Amino acid sequence: MTITSDAGSDLTPQVEMVTVVVDGVAIEIPKGTLVIRAAELLGIEIPRFCDHPLLEPVAACRMCLVDIEGVPKPQPACAQVVSEGMQVRTQLTSPVARDAQEGVMEFLLLNHPLDCPVCDKGGECPLQNQAMTAGRPESRFDEVKRTFPKPINVSAQILLDRERCVSCARCTRFAEQIAGDPMLELLERGANQQVGTAVDQPFDSYFSGNTVQICPVGALTSAAYRFRSRPFDLVSVPTTCEHCASGCSLRTDHRRGTVTRRLAWDEPAVNEEWNCDKGRFAFTYQEQGRVTTPLIREDGQLRVASWPEALDFAARGLSAASSHGVLVGGRSTVEDSYAYARFARVALKTDNIDFRVRDSSDEEAQFLRSAVAGTAVRTTYETLEQAPVVLLIAFEPEDESPIVFLRLRKAARGGTRVYAVGPVATRGLAKLSGTLIPAKPGAEPAVLAELAEQVRAELQAPGAVIMVGERIAGIQGGATAVLQLAQATGAALTWVPRRAGERGALDAGALAGLLPGGRPLTEDSARAAVAAAWGVDSLPATVGLAGAELLAAARDGAIGALITGGVELGDLADQSLGRAGLEAAGFVVALENHHSAITELADVVFPVAVVTEKAGTFMNWEGRPRPFAQTFKDALVMSDAVVLGMLAKAMNIAVGASDVAGIRQELGALGAWTGPRAERPNVPAGPVAEGAHLVATWRALIDNGVMQEGEPYLAATAHLVAATVSATTAGALGNPESVTVTGPLGSVTVPLEIGAVIDGVVCLPLNSPGCVLYRDLGVRSGQAVTIKGAL
Amino acid sequence: MTISAETRDQLRELAARYPKSRSALLPMLHLVQSVDDEVTSEGINVCAEILGITSAEVTAVATFYTMYKRKPVGKHHIGVCTNTLCGLLGGDAVYSALSERLGIGHNEPSADGQFWLEHIECQAACTHAPVMTVDWEYMDDVTPASAVAVVDRLARGEQVESTRGPVIRDFQATEHTLAFPLDGLVNDGVAVDAKMLVGLRLANERGMSAASIPAGDA
Repeated sequence: MTITSDAGSDLTPQVEMVTVVVDGVAIEIPKGTLVIRAAELLGIEIPRFCDHPLLEPVAACRMCLVDIEGVPKPQPACAQVVSEGMQVRTQLTSPVARDAQEGVMEFLLLNHPLDCPVCDKGGECPLQNQAMTAGRPESRFDEVKRTFPKPINVSAQILLDRERCVSCARCTRFAEQIAGDPMLELLERGANQQVGTAVDQPFDSYFSGNTVQICPVGALTSAAYRFRSRPFDLVSVPTTCEHCASGCSLRTDHRRGTVTRRLAWDEPAVNEEWNCDKGRFAFTYQEQGRVTTPLIREDGQLRVASWPEALDFAARGLSAASSHGVLVGGRSTVEDSYAYARFARVALKTDNIDFRVRDSSDEEAQFLRSAVAGTAVRTTYETLEQAPVVLLIAFEPEDESPIVFLRLRKAARGGTRVYAVGPVATRGLAKLSGTLIPAKPGAEPAVLAELAEQVRAELQAPGAVIMVGERIAGIQGGATAVLQLAQATGAALTWVPRRAGERGALDAGALAGLLPGGRPLTEDSARAAVAAAWGVDSLPATVGLAGAELLAAARDGAIGALITGGVELGDLADQSLGRAGLEAAGFVVALENHHSAITELADVVFPVAVVTEKAGTFMNWEGRPRPFAQTFKDALVMSDAVVLGMLAKAMNIAVGASDVAGIRQELGALGAWTGPRAERPNVPAGPVAEGAHLVATWRALIDNGVMQEGEPYLAATAHLVAATVSATTAGALGNPESVTVTGPLGSVTVPLEIGAVIDGVVCLPLNSPGCVLYRDLGVRSGQAVTIKGAL
Repeated sequence: MTISAETRDQLRELAARYPKSRSALLPMLHLVQSVDDEVTSEGINVCAEILGITSAEVTAVATFYTMYKRKPVGKHHIGVCTNTLCGLLGGDAVYSALSERLGIGHNEPSADGQFWLEHIECQAACTHAPVMTVDWEYMDDVTPASAVAVVDRLARGEQVESTRGPVIRDFQATEHTLAFPLDGLVNDGVAVDAKMLVGLRLANERGMSAASIPAGDA
């Protein structure tokens, strides 16, 4: 992957530089830099609590006081910008600054309980550390300290010990400036000042965990980690988040073979210093319900088998079948997806493979082959931040790629205009100060084709971006319309899948008709090059089955054997088709880390590693590889690639490298395709469904997802599960408190909310507690349901 | 208590008065107190909904300013200035006498729901120190005995007037005036009396005036 830059150097803004002197050392830095940053550049550390490079200065804690020549009183270095010739003296060279800082520290500690021995922050606490470096050795305070009942919940997950707080306002500023969820505020005044929430509205922000991480004292803790361990007992490993396509850098802390917590890690190009609560707290799934040994089906029952027995059993089953298919869930690493792609073509000699075991379409496959797979990186978080305008289609960033949401919010605060095409002006869109371009579900292609001239003109500006989510697959003609719009306006088109593995699986060739690096299977030279790299004479030359066609073929008995890797039947809109396909397939080999509906249907189950047990790479929505190392070095669980390698060996077929380094080398040697690409889709827009109420739906960030299991505090911060309709629609229903929504398979009863939804549309979460649309109603986005006021 | 549709309309009317509706929050909270006798959680939520901000943001304001109360005030709010000047001139004694008479301390309601007592900060009435307020109307030059007498009369339901003229109504009525000051009562009573202007008179007699403001320092 190469990051292309077409911005000429002449476009770089001229920066006015000034020279300042800190502790006798001169430095030339851009005008407007804060004194505290100038000192950092010189390696001079000024103590601070409220200062955070990604938050606006507030000078709340007063810890960073420095002595500036010509200024009568010490000034806060975190809020003072440098000017030409400024002479700054910090605590290192100025007794005035040192005295001021010691005085502030003494005040900050007046009401602090000094309970470091029982505090979670102890050992990694800026207050503890700086009390040592910048405070007096002994307290002179012998009055009674102010105390509070402790702790209080500001949300189910986040706990607050008010007496530890130094009122730095980092958490409240994060909530307001970064997350856009000002549900956490400084309440009361004077000595009673304290962080808090409204009485009946907890701090249920998707990003609430960041406040725990940036709290410079032990005031904010998470229910998940509170009192679990001491930081100095933990081993920290840099990792990549496996939950979505944002690709956040994380730090995973573990002790005695168990992950104790995860933190957002500093990656300015991607997640800056933030992550979402799912990425932070949802890791308990890794240990629960695991498949621990190979299993084979005997007399209808799965039984434990040894590896050699299971491999032999699977190899014989696969070899006996005359037709094959491979289904890869969207959570595989690039390396594992590549192993599936290679195994399908080399060992099974089939092109029947798809990573999209979810709502998908042929049009989407064409779109991905022609416009996404193996393309050079064009839109990044950074270009997003500088885009003049961003158009969102079939994509709700706050739920479906939360760090994209945070960067869009940063962009919007800087002037980027955001438009969303769809039926709902969501809370997320409001936080982006965005504008809804109303479209009934299914009508998006028509709306795009007749986009207002003004929006069209805005999209022609250099740097304009169109972001399309994976839900575009459910809109007939959607991908075609989006491609046409991008072509007509010149805006950069970016596909943002939901799952962490989808973008990588696409580039690894885990889709029918596509070889690694975006190579079209139908191009002779591409096929020949890949065949040579894989050491085989030829590869399947006709585009195989994918998506629903592959499952339908299995259901009709046309697929002799299926291999599944990390597949969830619940992802499929048509679950009966998935189940029927797996039941009718002659032989099913499942590579799974957890027991699930798939393992119940499989003939052989191989246990495979979760992210902590293997190294790998996730390719995020940008197309940026996000490699990660193995957290548990002594884990004995093997990756999908290694198991597939062993399976190939059991079939007496050589498939090449199975280790991460070897696969990366193979993929790297193949490189990206520069030849002709597959044809773009040309599908006319489908009809908009008839009916009084059409469903608009997507997955909430915190919902029934299997990778959120075992984390009750996180689950309790989920957004309200409700049917959201317009005031007109609600009025027509008689404004009931809750409604029963009915589809072909059944109904759900949920509270009714009034929101910015277009008339005749009902917005429901796709897979939340009490509202699982595919299973309970049997409807997908754009289909009609009936709604009645519930008794 | 619930916020009625009429009150909601009035809250919207206040919000519409400002270029940035959020500026209306202070009078809106006074209006909530005028109907609920306190800033209720419901009142906070309604203000937040009307202004399009979060309830936490409203709570921050409602808890920062001391004129907003998070529990029912009762019929009358009694304030005694105990800042330096009033305190030294008898304010502390007035406060103690009232506290004893009512059986309550700072920021507490009386058991019968009639009174709320509060140490208050400077009311800009030092000329008439010590100063007490009843439902934010001035009671100038009070003594412990006169202050207790005011409370006794209020307790008996008698009509009481501010030393500056206006008839004491009750806390909620005053809160309504604070939300909608143009209710015709603004000129009730004496705004300025001779005692307040002694300094000005002396300055005029002696030809004293303030130094002129240097040009460019406006």
